[in-house]
Amino acid sequence: MDELREQIELLQGSANLATSIDDVQKTIELLTAARAKIETEPHKAPITLATLQSPVKASLEVAQKDLKPAYFGLNKYGKALDKKFKDKPLPTAENDALSSHPHLINRAIAMHLLREGQFSVASTFIDEANRNPPHPEPTPGTPNPYLNDSWEKDLAKDALDSKKLQQHFGAMYHILHELRQQRNLRPAIEWARERSDVLEARGSNLEFELCRLQFVCLFVGQDENGHMTESAEGPFRAWAYARSEFGPFQIRYAKEVQQLMGSMAYWQNIVDSPYRQYFYNESAWEEVALSFTREFCSLLGLSADSPLYIATTAGAIALPTLLKLQNIMKEKRTEWTTQNELPVEIPLPPSYHFHSIFVCPVSKEQATDTNPPMMMPCGHVIAKESLDRLSKGARFKCPYCPNESHPRDARTVFL
Amino acid sequence: MTTPRWLLCSHKHQTTTPRPNNTPPTIEPPQHARTNHSNPLFTMASLTKLNADSHLLLEQPLLRFPHDLSRRNFKTAQRYLENGTKELTTTLAKATKAASKSASPAASLESLDAMIQKMQGMKRKLEGLHEEELRIHKSSKARLQYLQDLYDVQSLDDVKYEDWSQKRLVRLLVDYLLREGYVESATQLAESKGVNDLVDVEAFVACHRIERSLREGKRTAEALKWCMENGQGLKRLGGMLEFELRLQQYIEMVRQGHEAGIGDGVNGLGDGGMSLGSGNGASRLVEARLYAKKYLSASDDFELVGRAAGLLAYRPWDGVEPYASLYSTDRWNHLAEMFLDTHHTLFSLPVRPLLHIALSAGLSALKTPSCHSTSSVPIPITSSSTPICPICSTELKELARNVPYAHHTKSIVESDLMMLPNGNVCGSDELRVFNEKVGTVAGWVRDPLGGRSGEAWKEAAVQKVYIL
Ligand SMILES: [Zn+2]
Ligand SMILES: [Zn+2]
Repeated sequence: MDELREQIELLQGSANLATSIDDVQKTIELLTAARAKIETEPHKAPITLATLQSPVKASLEVAQKDLKPAYFGLNKYGKALDKKFKDKPLPTAENDALSSHPHLINRAIAMHLLREGQFSVASTFIDEANRNPPHPEPTPGTPNPYLNDSWEKDLAKDALDSKKLQQHFGAMYHILHELRQQRNLRPAIEWARERSDVLEARGSNLEFELCRLQFVCLFVGQDENGHMTESAEGPFRAWAYARSEFGPFQIRYAKEVQQLMGSMAYWQNIVDSPYRQYFYNESAWEEVALSFTREFCSLLGLSADSPLYIATTAGAIALPTLLKLQNIMKEKRTEWTTQNELPVEIPLPPSYHFHSIFVCPVSKEQATDTNPPMMMPCGHVIAKESLDRLSKGARFKCPYCPNESHPRDARTVFL
Repeated sequence: MTTPRWLLCSHKHQTTTPRPNNTPPTIEPPQHARTNHSNPLFTMASLTKLNADSHLLLEQPLLRFPHDLSRRNFKTAQRYLENGTKELTTTLAKATKAASKSASPAASLESLDAMIQKMQGMKRKLEGLHEEELRIHKSSKARLQYLQDLYDVQSLDDVKYEDWSQKRLVRLLVDYLLREGYVESATQLAESKGVNDLVDVEAFVACHRIERSLREGKRTAEALKWCMENGQGLKRLGGMLEFELRLQQYIEMVRQGHEAGIGDGVNGLGDGGMSLGSGNGASRLVEARLYAKKYLSASDDFELVGRAAGLLAYRPWDGVEPYASLYSTDRWNHLAEMFLDTHHTLFSLPVRPLLHIALSAGLSALKTPSCHSTSSVPIPITSSSTPICPICSTELKELARNVPYAHHTKSIVESDLMMLPNGNVCGSDELRVFNEKVGTVAGWVRDPLGGRSGEAWKEAAVQKVYIL
């Protein structure tokens, strides 16, 4: 990296066209001087012009010679690039599984822009994409992309035409803005309250977390719009708030509510009380904002982080392994993009795992719809096909413990 | 590892399985893959370690493209300077000769003025190229700094890596938009994210102007001019673009000739028997023949050259192959594609957008058999504890349908899984926390998926699941 930077700095500093431009200026000055001379001494025109020839020629030759540092500089930088990208070929079209689905790509991009709150870019994009719809190109897995084209177009149209998604995310960013910038919890609480049932069914604590933060804010002296008030009134306002709002939380959050109410005893000096952590928690706002975003997206059936971001990042991590693999597969005349399952394991950080994975310890195969994990009465789990093979329909011994059982006693495990 | 937590009574291994004394235990401790990647190849540290060098696979065009642009910029400057020098020395020599012969001083002044003007014009052009050169170098430097930032991050879990990768996504998106010709949105996105130095808007705008001039404008002039500007590089590449453009130019001249011929009334000589008579159409055809002689005859594709010659005898509306396909307007799309291919190869740009490449790899790396499963329970929508999988999310679900799913050699499951009598499986911690929260009577359990009012079972009915 340092070598490349040095080369660029050289190109910026001196190895560029500047010197040659100066030389050209000098040539112009030679010509102008000659002109002035002929004007004052017209009769010497022939000799003036004759003596002008070789300096002009020399001056322009210098201009050409002065291009050399730039020429060498560019070459050297190019060589340094070659070195840096040695063994790193450009990914070829064989690694592209998606050009056959351009409408779905555009849909994913439109949704990404909307969820990132880039509303004006999104609308420009949707406009441009509608005016110039993309053309599908064949990929190793889909050699005839035109067959699906119109179906995909219809599917994508939904996302591209719909203003609904923008409205949703517009609402989300409004609430987030109120939370983060205005420290105003009210819109978020209203949103959560309207969806109380769904959120509770999901096991979400969002509504309570928001109300608890509201309680804390009141306690330390803010009013419900986030403005500071006479701080002595705080605890009383908080108490009144708890009385009117905490009712629905009594059962599910009995312990937490109790703690909050317990803090009232320390209202004069909360800083030194055991409840300090609830009241002076800088990250509380960011936490509720994140938790709100997660719930908001989940209710739309969307993941909280942009899938496009997670997938491209995972792709960049996976690519070195896949390209190495590609060289091996080329000899066998297959592409990784056309397989059912990747032939190698991609080492991704644990935060990139979203589903439980079951790999049968007997067959080493991943469970699928048709080959689900089965738990034997002993608690050990193997894939259904392994179970069938081992048992042949009769009582058999678990391969991992001495327990014997009949295959009909095994139960499908839903991971 | 085998420490039973709060549901010890359901631990059937120890309570119901008698183990013969003389054989060593065959029970392996259950693996907790979520917290323990037992595959020796992938330790936790190696899973999160960032290898900046291998990340460069997607970054080559980022540095190559500006380098190629500045090389082309330099060559243009060199050509101007060479031509300017040649021109000036000849004019000066001529002026000197004229002056020595008798020309008036006024004439000498006049030719000097012309020379000064020429030189000033050249200087202005060079200054323009110099500005462009500095702009490109500045962006190269910004790109190097951007890559350097990656070398300063050690772990994939680092929030700095996330920032970096977010920026990369913006770049990949802008690049994709530019390639598709969505210039407006590309410009807006680049501007709003402040990545102008990291993307090549102008270069792509220029590229698409030429592509459209072919596809929509049905003109060869812009593309041919581009071929001239990049002559050296194209020669090295050895492609057919320029020849195909010349061929098209010829085809259009012949077409015009035939069409004008109808008006001339000399064009009705029947199949294949056309002679080059007089008139507007005919002279156009003669012109075409001269053009072909100049630009096409050097080709060693005799078959094609032969076909091209045959056009003079077959009119567009005759519909006779193999000539009709040369007259086809589809050729303009073919030329547009060819131009894009040539342009991208010349400037070391990948044939397909890098966004596609990164996404293809990412979809497969993340995809699991559950993502498009028709049988598994729809956990993602109902449980707050599991984040929705990006592949299952609406944005990517259909897109990922046809790519392979990831390969795993080890199960990845929550630790201490328990099976409830209804068949649902749940981590023991989650089960305990839920039941404490909803206040289930001691000794009983409820399924978190069933909610507070769901059925309750005796703890003994809950069974530990062993996933090896
Ligand atoms: Zn067993
Ligand atoms: Zn999924």
